[in-house]
Amino acid sequence: MGHFGIVGILVILMTVLTYFGLDAAGLAKQMHPVAASAQAASIDQLWHWEMMVISFLFSLIVVPMVYSLAVFRQKKGELKDGEHIEGNTQLEITWTVIPLFTVIAFAYFGAYSLGEVRRVDPDAFVVNVQARQFSWTFEYPEYGVVSTELHLPVGRQVVLKMESADVIHSFWVPEFRVKQDVVPGRVTEYRITPTKEGSYKVRCAELCGVSHAYMENKVIVDSQAQYEAWVAEQVKLAAEAQTPEGQGKLLATKNACVGCHSADGTAMTGPTWFNLYGSQVSLADGSTVTADEAFLTESIRDPNASIVATFASPSVMPPYPQLTDEEIANIIAYIKTLK
Amino acid sequence: MAHSQDKHSALGQGVTIFIYLAILTLLEYFVAVSFNATSLLVVMAVSKAALVMYYYMHIYKLGADDGADPHSYAYKTGTNRFGLWLFLLSDGFVFAGLLATRINLLGFTRPHQLSQILGLGVTAVLLISSFFMNRGETAMKYGDRKGFMLNTAITFLLGLGFFIGVIFVEWRLAAAEGLTASFGNPADGPMGAVFYIMTGMHAFHVLTGLIFLYVVWNNARKGVYTAEKHWGVEAAAVYWHFVDLVWIFFYPALYLIGTAV
Amino acid sequence: MKNMNPFWRGMLALLVFSLAGYGVGLGLDVLVDGKVNFSGPVPGVFALFFGFTAFFLGVFGYRGITRGLVWQVVGTLIGGLFVALIRLVMGLPAFGDFFFTEPSWVFGGLTGVLSFIVGVGVVDDWIKWARGLDTPEHHEEHYSDWRKYFGVSVDHKVIGVQYTVTALLLIAVGGLFALIFRTELAASKLQFLTDQTQLFGQNGPQLFNTLMSLHGMIMIVSILLGISGIINYVVPLLLGAQDMAFPRLNAFSYWIAVPAAVLLLSSLFLGGFDTGWTGYPPLSARAPVGMQMFFLGVFVAGWSSVLSALNVLVTVVRMRSVGMTAMKMPIFVWASVATSLIALTATQFIGLSFQLVMFQRLFGMGFFDAAKGGNPILFQHLFWFYSHPAVYVFVLPGLGVISELLPVFVRKPLFGYRWVAMSSLGIALVGFLVWAHHMFTSGMNEYLRVPFMYSTLLVAVPTGVKFFSWVATIWKGRISTPTPMLFALGAIVVFLLGGLTGPPNATVSTDLHLHDTYFIVGHFHDTIFGGFVFPFFAALYYWFPKATGRRMNETLGKIHFWLMTPSFLFLTLGMMYVGLIGMRRRIVDYDPALLIDGWHLALTVSAFLIAISVLVFFYNFFYSIKNGEKAEGNLWHSRSPEWQVPSPMPVHNYDRPFEVVGEPYDYGLNDAGYVKFIESAGGKHG
Ligand code: HEA
Ligand code: HEA
Ligand code: HEC
Ligand code: CUA
Ligand SMILES: [Cu+2]
Repeated sequence: MGHFGIVGILVILMTVLTYFGLDAAGLAKQMHPVAASAQAASIDQLWHWEMMVISFLFSLIVVPMVYSLAVFRQKKGELKDGEHIEGNTQLEITWTVIPLFTVIAFAYFGAYSLGEVRRVDPDAFVVNVQARQFSWTFEYPEYGVVSTELHLPVGRQVVLKMESADVIHSFWVPEFRVKQDVVPGRVTEYRITPTKEGSYKVRCAELCGVSHAYMENKVIVDSQAQYEAWVAEQVKLAAEAQTPEGQGKLLATKNACVGCHSADGTAMTGPTWFNLYGSQVSLADGSTVTADEAFLTESIRDPNASIVATFASPSVMPPYPQLTDEEIANIIAYIKTLK
Repeated sequence: MAHSQDKHSALGQGVTIFIYLAILTLLEYFVAVSFNATSLLVVMAVSKAALVMYYYMHIYKLGADDGADPHSYAYKTGTNRFGLWLFLLSDGFVFAGLLATRINLLGFTRPHQLSQILGLGVTAVLLISSFFMNRGETAMKYGDRKGFMLNTAITFLLGLGFFIGVIFVEWRLAAAEGLTASFGNPADGPMGAVFYIMTGMHAFHVLTGLIFLYVVWNNARKGVYTAEKHWGVEAAAVYWHFVDLVWIFFYPALYLIGTAV
Repeated sequence: MKNMNPFWRGMLALLVFSLAGYGVGLGLDVLVDGKVNFSGPVPGVFALFFGFTAFFLGVFGYRGITRGLVWQVVGTLIGGLFVALIRLVMGLPAFGDFFFTEPSWVFGGLTGVLSFIVGVGVVDDWIKWARGLDTPEHHEEHYSDWRKYFGVSVDHKVIGVQYTVTALLLIAVGGLFALIFRTELAASKLQFLTDQTQLFGQNGPQLFNTLMSLHGMIMIVSILLGISGIINYVVPLLLGAQDMAFPRLNAFSYWIAVPAAVLLLSSLFLGGFDTGWTGYPPLSARAPVGMQMFFLGVFVAGWSSVLSALNVLVTVVRMRSVGMTAMKMPIFVWASVATSLIALTATQFIGLSFQLVMFQRLFGMGFFDAAKGGNPILFQHLFWFYSHPAVYVFVLPGLGVISELLPVFVRKPLFGYRWVAMSSLGIALVGFLVWAHHMFTSGMNEYLRVPFMYSTLLVAVPTGVKFFSWVATIWKGRISTPTPMLFALGAIVVFLLGGLTGPPNATVSTDLHLHDTYFIVGHFHDTIFGGFVFPFFAALYYWFPKATGRRMNETLGKIHFWLMTPSFLFLTLGMMYVGLIGMRRRIVDYDPALLIDGWHLALTVSAFLIAISVLVFFYNFFYSIKNGEKAEGNLWHSRSPEWQVPSPMPVHNYDRPFEVVGEPYDYGLNDAGYVKFIESAGGKHG
């Protein structure tokens, strides 16, 4: 058998090996992690096809190279020239045209797959998403519910209408596969049909500042029954929250304060609110103040007015010019309850 | 062709081209004030640019045969010329980027605060300066040092006039009309930002052009240039026309295209 | 002091003056703030500037680079104080958090760069020309030993070496930053760069962001300098030219890169910034002052790139030897032309995009501020219109090196020379039409996604032509594998991995998952290492004897290769894997629930292995300059013109001009070579 024959067989062998190697790592037939949306299925299918082509192309280049290295070596101390081959126009045309068709096929299937991903279900329901440094809030306009967890019923398409309060963020649930930036000044859309119940996370995928790494909220895909139960509970909670504390808690969720301030003492981006009211707070300039209404109001109105010790200056906490005095009072009423 | 003319016809050609350019500019203006025809404006701007590049900037010289001796002045000048054009190409991308920014942010609208008369005025001043630049360079080509110095001085003064007209008159008027680059005023929108960056960047080039003109004028005074060797003069002229060329596109982009809002 | 070794004298000066600088910084802090801050940024900046400058002062005396740096410091201070004064008059605060206010720093940064240029002496001749004076064609060097590299020289070989060494230093700095942040990533949670860490006014996570962003940009600048280094050294030699077309401009291009690098690094001390190398607004409109220094540094480095590209193009068009028609140029020249076409034009867009953000910050002009009617996505278009083509700027010279070296070591002609040459131009041109593939998820107009997918995938075709031609070149050759060849072969495999992971990014729907994950990080480290780092090392091993007359040690070279290649492959394949699982880019900490702690630890270990291999290289490089085995002849038995004369290369290149009489890669034919030296042409030529 000539060199060509051997290399041909080796290429096929290597392609198969590469493909099965990828498959063994769980990477050929699907991307990682588990697929949990209808969109993921069509994306994974494209990926599978790409992995096959890539396995082949990788082998096609590497095998003849390594083979030549092994077989056509110069002996030690020898200095002979190889055959004088300058080129071959037919070959050049072949390896221009075949890849050309391959990439056109890639693009064609890519466009097809994108069409699948973007397919609109007329029954889709809407959730409004607010992204801000460094957390997400979800508003269900149908029910008037605001939450820091995104609950979705399985099997039904949802359209997230996303807005950003400050910088660019990006909504990504790896299990859903799809990613969409959230850009200040415009509403971007994210369409997904969850297919697998479970608890996932939305992970902000666009660098948005110091705590970008922690901009993760829960995304829970429920069965229809569970989902309805959750909605009912949220509606009830919202109705109960007519007291100042209740309003305050709602506001803290809505404005994403809870993305940086914990209610139970856990360390997060900002100081915890647990046992905050009435405590002695040491400030970065070395002084100490009592956390009374006046101090808390000032801290919320102008985060840079006094920086809490060990926190960075200027404060990463954004100002909230839209909060009214009453709303701030409500938030402080809520903070008071955290003991 | 241009390179085998006598001095008289070379100067005459400069006049003819200037007349074409002036007519086109006026046409632009009237087209813009009477009806909204962006594509027509683009066609006219491109025609003006072509005239300037060919007759004033002598782009055809890039293809000239500079002889075989790499040590000759002609060959070195050819090399320099090619370098200069590449520089202009590169610099042109800055202005192309600004135009793209303008189109993206403003679309088919333009700031209404700008004075049309002033716009046409400074455009005319810059165009006339190009005309004198061409006369100056032609003079030098025929060894007329005095003529060169006179025409370059006129060019310089017109350029200075343009600079002052844009920075000290138009900027102030526009600001007085309420067009500002927004020192913290959110209501301003991108109009002011685009207007000041475009005119500012262009004015910066005018300023460097003025310095360049002064340098060659001063060197001519010292007798550095001759009819055969005056690459510095050619470079200054080409650069000056380039600044004009940019304005050929910026003028309609700022004053003429779209509706004023 | 006089008879001390200059290097140690420099080190001594460095020690003394960085302490002095630290003291001055502390003093200034006290003056302005009224309190002592030992870990503040100001003493750090002063220590760095003073120490750095003093080192060169000790080595080299007060001229060349030393004078440049001193002038830069003074120029920055004067510029900054000037603005402070104006602010004082206008009733604004004159000083800010980082000693100066932001406008002071920006203006001071600019005057600092200009002062450097004047101080270093690279514009002396131009100033004379402007005054109507003549200058000599050739300058005599002040020094003829290694010290000539520390001052202005207009010899393209000296400039080539200056570029190359600067690039290597920057790779070391950028790599060091990578090692620091990789150490933090070795396990989830914060252990190394924690909330309590305080350095230069930044806490751990902020420092992570700054280091990560600077790693990206410093590495990119080092690539730009690295390719300029190789191109500068090699292209005139390959063409048979005496120098570049514009030697002074050439020196200028190099010397503005130095203050640019200083500016870039200074951002670390001025509060850093947290946007990644891409600097997207609105985040970059809010970052600390360091952001402005970063923008300014890149802007100035961009001009270096533009001007040297201009020079290369003119040189190639105007300075070829007799008989060297376009299709007889060595293939590396084609690659340089393609690269330069991109660098000449597209670079203006990154400069412009950064400039607009700078103005937005300084004057409140709302280009990208949605609240003022601006458009944040416009920035991304402007930025990627450069930064995508830029990736081909990085790789085209590298691919050119591969095409140049393969024929020598397989002793066979380059297969399909014309196709390889044209594929470089093809990549460069198509590369201009694909930028929006970085923005598939950005929220730009929907309808743009599919056309940009098609155009992006199209680049695979000319790139494929290169790969297939390389394989055909190797096929049935007579292959030997000294270190340069090893790196060329490694480059092919690594670049192939990088290239083949391109199409999954380019098809929109898979990119929706892959975008901004470590899969992308793996993709581009593969393309960059395969397209630049490996070929760069190949070129260094290959042309080192030409520059020094000695060769680098083979054993150390092989250790370098065999340590770096597997570690690197593991690093990038591992990155791709964790990326698929859900590891996002640019995060200081990751969710332990992803179960990738073990992977990350292994990735960090491989990063350190790469660093060790690079240290081996550094040792080999600097040791061999003086102590390497002598190699003055045609070491690699190449047919290329530069190897037909003894090494190191004579000062004015070829003593006799040559004429091209054959094809560049006629291995396997025994008749006349590629070039023939012209006897008695009167000695000199140009
Ligand atoms: C040296 C640099 C370099 C090179 C050469 C490339 C080459 C390519 N890149 Fe890469 N890329 C980067 C550096 C580079 N890239 C960087 C730095 C980023 C990230 C920037 C950031 O966000 O920070 C990036 C990001 C990036 C993205 C954006 C991803 C995202 O953020 O979501 C995309 C998407 O399309 C992409 C695609 C490609 C493609 C299709 C190629 C092609 O040119 C590859 C072509 C080569 C081959 C395909 C292999 C050989 C060909 C054959 C064997 C022929 C047959 C092949 C086929 C038929 C397929 N790259
Ligand atoms: C030339 C380009 C280049 C090179 C060579 C490298 C080299 C390396 N890169 Fe880098 N990388 C980029 C370009 C490059 N990178 C870019 C553009 C980004 C994107 C940034 C962004 O997102 O904005 C990036 C991002 C990036 C990330 C992602 C960060 C994040 O998203 O959070 C990671 C993570 O592991 C990484 C790792 C590494 C490692 C381990 C190396 C190793 O190869 C490094 C090996 C070490 C050395 C080469 C140094 C050895 C020398 C010494 C130790 C001597 C020191 C001595 C002295 C100072 C005298 N890089
Ligand atoms: C991006 C993160 C972030 C968000 C969102 C945020 N904060 Fe803060 N907050 C901080 C940080 C960090 C500090 C400490 C630094 C400082 O004093 O400014 C802080 C401090 C405070 C303090 C002073 C606490 C103390 O211990 O003395 C109060 C009160 C406060 N925030 C209330 C709020 C309220 C109310 C909201 C929402 C409307 C909110 N924060 C949103 C990060 C945040
Ligand atoms: Cu929000 Cu990252
Ligand atoms: Cu790209």
